[in-house]
Amino acid sequence: MKVALTVWENRISPLFDCARTLLIVDITDQTATNRYFEPFHCESPSSRAAKLSDLKVQVLVCGAVSDLFANMIEAHGIRIIPFVAGAVDEVIDAYLTGTISSSKFQMPGCGTARDNGYRKKN
Amino acid sequence: MKKDKPDQIPNHVTDIILESVSDGVFTVDHEWRITSFNHAAEEITGVPRDKALGKYCWSVFRSNMCEIDCALRRTMKEGKRFVDTAAYIVDSKKRRIPVVVSTSLLKDESGIVLGGVETFRDMSLVDELRRELDARYQVGDMVSRSPSMHRIFTILPQVAQSDSTVLIQGETGTGKELLSRAIHELSPRRGKPFIAINCGAFPDTLLESELFGYKAGAFTNATKDKPGRFAAAEGGTILLDEIGDLSAAFQVRLLRVLQERTFQPLGGTKSVKANVRVIASANKNLAGMVKKGTFRQDLFYRINVVRLDLPPLRERKEDVPMLVEHFIARLNRLRGRSVTGISQKALALLLSHDYPGNIRELENSIEHAFVLCPDGEIEPHCLPDNLRALVSRPTTNAKIDTALQSVEAQVILDALKRNKFNRLEAARDLGIHKSTLFRKIKMLGIDLPKIDGRTKRKRVH
Repeated sequence: MKVALTVWENRISPLFDCARTLLIVDITDQTATNRYFEPFHCESPSSRAAKLSDLKVQVLVCGAVSDLFANMIEAHGIRIIPFVAGAVDEVIDAYLTGTISSSKFQMPGCGTARDNGYRKKN
Repeated sequence: MKKDKPDQIPNHVTDIILESVSDGVFTVDHEWRITSFNHAAEEITGVPRDKALGKYCWSVFRSNMCEIDCALRRTMKEGKRFVDTAAYIVDSKKRRIPVVVSTSLLKDESGIVLGGVETFRDMSLVDELRRELDARYQVGDMVSRSPSMHRIFTILPQVAQSDSTVLIQGETGTGKELLSRAIHELSPRRGKPFIAINCGAFPDTLLESELFGYKAGAFTNATKDKPGRFAAAEGGTILLDEIGDLSAAFQVRLLRVLQERTFQPLGGTKSVKANVRVIASANKNLAGMVKKGTFRQDLFYRINVVRLDLPPLRERKEDVPMLVEHFIARLNRLRGRSVTGISQKALALLLSHDYPGNIRELENSIEHAFVLCPDGEIEPHCLPDNLRALVSRPTTNAKIDTALQSVEAQVILDALKRNKFNRLEAARDLGIHKSTLFRKIKMLGIDLPKIDGRTKRKRVH
């Protein structure tokens, strides 16, 4: 299985919409068997989704992502794990051990509404 | 006792001020970790202060600048302030929020740099108001700032509500079908079908069965009843496109339908009532055809209840930039692209063309550019060959200002010709003040004939 991560300075890129590097990780039996970088300079939602699809990516791990990009990628049958933050190696380990959804790897304010959400006071 | 110095403002007052401003403010240390985060920053980003403090600024702010061109990073590096940089952030609901960002260094009393401060303003409301303002120039899928189109837009709601037959005249590609759809959508018949049929595309017999349908056995292979377009449009609106191409015989048949509001399917014996609003459109001048005897006068008067004349694009070139923006936004949406706009040079080329194919031709040119320019700005080399050929003309070989001035001069001259050189009318037509028009005429060196719209009018009255 191929998992793509949008990376920047050895961390998960803050915003998928303008991320410029992909790290592709091949995973077999819960182990990362191969990893390589891919340039990700295309800008439009459709070209970004098409690039991921061409690379046969099944799961995308990224930081924040706007709905137009997210919808286009999901339409290509790619699962998105959004609003992830942290060092790349730690995020890959967390993905392999199934702990990526823990609050340690969540961007601030992006967990469940009870845990993180800011409520506007009227 | 007289005080030597004014009272020092206590430190906590600064916090009160920061909490009361509507701009988001946060500060970072040298490690890019957030050290303060005000109330407005919580409101705009949706991130509570306790979750933001101590976190990396990019994981909280999540803007399009963070990775590529962070203003705060530049400030820290160059020691310079940056004011009102436009950007967007993405909140936890995946919504893009437009913001303007200003950054500066954070120093202590002795001038030592403690980190950076970033203030940002939510521009969503401004964007919304801008869109609302643009909506004033938009009806349905049609956009225009030209006074002639604005007159149509103004009366359109009343025309739509009236249920009267409408005749739309305009050259090919001026948006006759779009205008008919807009009338249908603004009318009480919206929600019911809108059916368009091109009368010029069918021979008489086929057109009859297409419009009115047929009964089983009406002709060979007519094995079962087929309802026509009038039946399909029941309760709604039918657009009879290119009505000027109807044969003389069919004009009589159509006249009866419009007069009696009933039709008879081919091979049928009973008349069927038609509750359909009719909109007719023509790319020819029907009044001229009546004079020549090629179009029936009685049918003309039957359909010419409310007439809307769509001006060709060459007479409203001021609409070209707005239409280009509209098509770029639409194609970006449809194709999932991110073309940001059009360069000045490419726009100057588009403005110097005459558009025999009108708005459809302009739309096709933009679509052509979308094929060759996947993102960024549309440049001249992305436009179709026939437009690029204009580069060799002396006017567009010159500097961009000269090219734009020549187009401006042409638009003014066209407006003056349309209004028989009456300066006041032409200024109204162009949507500018008469003194602006006089100034531009002088500045652009437009030669005017001796005739003056006013003198002629005075003689008549």
